[in-house]
Amino acid sequence: MGGQGKGKQETALVEIIIISAVTIAGLALQFVIGPLDFGILAFPVNLVLGLLLLLLIPFKFPKSIRRFGSGRVSVTLLAIVTLMAIYMGVVPGNDVKHSWPFALIYLMTMVNLALAVGKRVRKFNLKRDHGFMLNHLGLLLLLFSAGPGSGDMQRWFMTVAEGATEWRGERAGVNEPVELPVAISLIDFSMEEYPPKIAIVNKSTGESQPSGKPVFIESTDGNSGIIAGWSIQIDSFIYRPMMAPSAFISAKRVSDGEMISGRVSCGNIFQQFAILDIDDRFCFAMTHPEPQKFSSQVKVYTKEGEERTGIIEVNRPLTIAGWKIYQYSYDTRRGRDSEISVFELVYDPWIILAYIGIGMVMIGSLTLLIKGGKRE
Amino acid sequence: MSWNEFIYFAAGSLLFWISGTVALYRLRRSLTGELLIIAGLLLFSSFIALLWDYIGHPPLRTMGETRLWYSLFLVLVGYVTYKRWRYKWLMAYSVLVSSVFIFVNLLKPEIHGTNLMPALQSVWFVPHVTVYILSYAMMGAATIASAITLSSGEKRERELLPLIDNLVHIGFGFLVLGMLMGAVWAKEAWGDYWTWDPKEVWAFITASAYLIYMHAHYTKISRREALWILPVAFILLMITWLGVNYLPAAQGSIHTY
Repeated sequence: MGGQGKGKQETALVEIIIISAVTIAGLALQFVIGPLDFGILAFPVNLVLGLLLLLLIPFKFPKSIRRFGSGRVSVTLLAIVTLMAIYMGVVPGNDVKHSWPFALIYLMTMVNLALAVGKRVRKFNLKRDHGFMLNHLGLLLLLFSAGPGSGDMQRWFMTVAEGATEWRGERAGVNEPVELPVAISLIDFSMEEYPPKIAIVNKSTGESQPSGKPVFIESTDGNSGIIAGWSIQIDSFIYRPMMAPSAFISAKRVSDGEMISGRVSCGNIFQQFAILDIDDRFCFAMTHPEPQKFSSQVKVYTKEGEERTGIIEVNRPLTIAGWKIYQYSYDTRRGRDSEISVFELVYDPWIILAYIGIGMVMIGSLTLLIKGGKRE
Repeated sequence: MSWNEFIYFAAGSLLFWISGTVALYRLRRSLTGELLIIAGLLLFSSFIALLWDYIGHPPLRTMGETRLWYSLFLVLVGYVTYKRWRYKWLMAYSVLVSSVFIFVNLLKPEIHGTNLMPALQSVWFVPHVTVYILSYAMMGAATIASAITLSSGEKRERELLPLIDNLVHIGFGFLVLGMLMGAVWAKEAWGDYWTWDPKEVWAFITASAYLIYMHAHYTKISRREALWILPVAFILLMITWLGVNYLPAAQGSIHTY
């Protein structure tokens, strides 16, 4: 028994040394080549890689390869990837996710999963292994789509003016318009906002009162409330197109009955802001209205002649010919009077595989809920 | 029902829960204690329901609001586990930890802002957050059990290890569900299901720490040694939940609200 245990310890050590060597090789590559360009994984490279990973499942390889599918190796890989992720989460401005050591450990994790799945496939027992299969094979599919699959992903931003049609998009941070296979014609951009709010603000610090536990009153016609000992009434609220929201308020100090009234406005690109002084230190002010919902009524075309009309809003993208079109932004200085809409166009041919993986792991985690910690 | 009334509901619920737990310890039959604990759960849930109605959207957005659910779920998990395994101490600890979160909410509410930004207006919002909080509650209970096991002898270990493993596996199931629902939502809202946003990075760290615990029996690490992973994983979980916003690497995260 003792000898066997020692042998096991030695193999564990060998595995740790090999995995560390791979990490160090990754660091060397990082110094020589620089960050990993996901573009090199684009089709057909990722497909070949995926097929190779797939081959690990049905065939029984020599023990020297099979050992990398063990649970023991998975713990080492998880420990390394956790350390890398902690670095990612703590050090600002790092690019771990595009680094070679991370990519190589990611690859080894996929190899580990494929071999582990393969081992179970050969002695498959539905009742015992269904949870394992769903979780591990699902995770493998998800990791593949999110990793090598992302080499085929395209993301473009497109700014369209109301009444205009646009074919050109730009990559994030690159000011070079490129003609895309999809065009968007913006029929109408519209936006709903939450009412702005009335606050009492410290004029030197900008802090809303009462300090630490600020109170706000929604600026709507006839609304009223109490902030820091002032009873405030919104006498009227006006918000017309191409104007800043503005309110006439009257406020009465509860302690001594002192009255103040006048106009406050948060201002915007069209009009100056207005505050109402209480004394040298405090004033009444209005917050900017926050967006509640913004959406674009569009007509979308593809080069192949497909057409689709619809409304795109946040959380409701429009899908056409493998592209997903998202409501991304608008002219924030003009707010609801924006005459443009900014869209994000995403092409990800591997998304179906990712969703299959997500679905499998979701069902797999339900088996965890039912089985608990019972070992197979 | 606004936050101003929270103190009455919180005091009432705590009174029910504490007296219920005391009753479980003192009385021969558990019925009185269980009824008191259920009454506390109902009272606390009714506050959440009334607050939900008052602010017009599910109270799941601010830190204070998530702590509210945590206080509820922790006692709920404690009670369900008590029903299944008859561990009174777990009930007592759940009430204790829950009351800590209630006090934090009373003293430092962090409840400003009731407007729901467009990206949060999604069917995934409620399940994503509640499932996560439920998972956190189970991991909290597992951490308590691991601390007790580590500070006591073999007999306790044999008794508690199955419970700990159950809590971690079930908690992990919820954790994964929360994470994947978040991924599907992110794809609908931002065009990508995983972007290594700081909150995502820490959620990933937390999940892999628990995965290490769940796979530790494949290595030479003993069961008892592996238990040390749980308090560490729970600290990572706390960073994910409460600490990320304070990290320098997290400036500009989509999850800071």
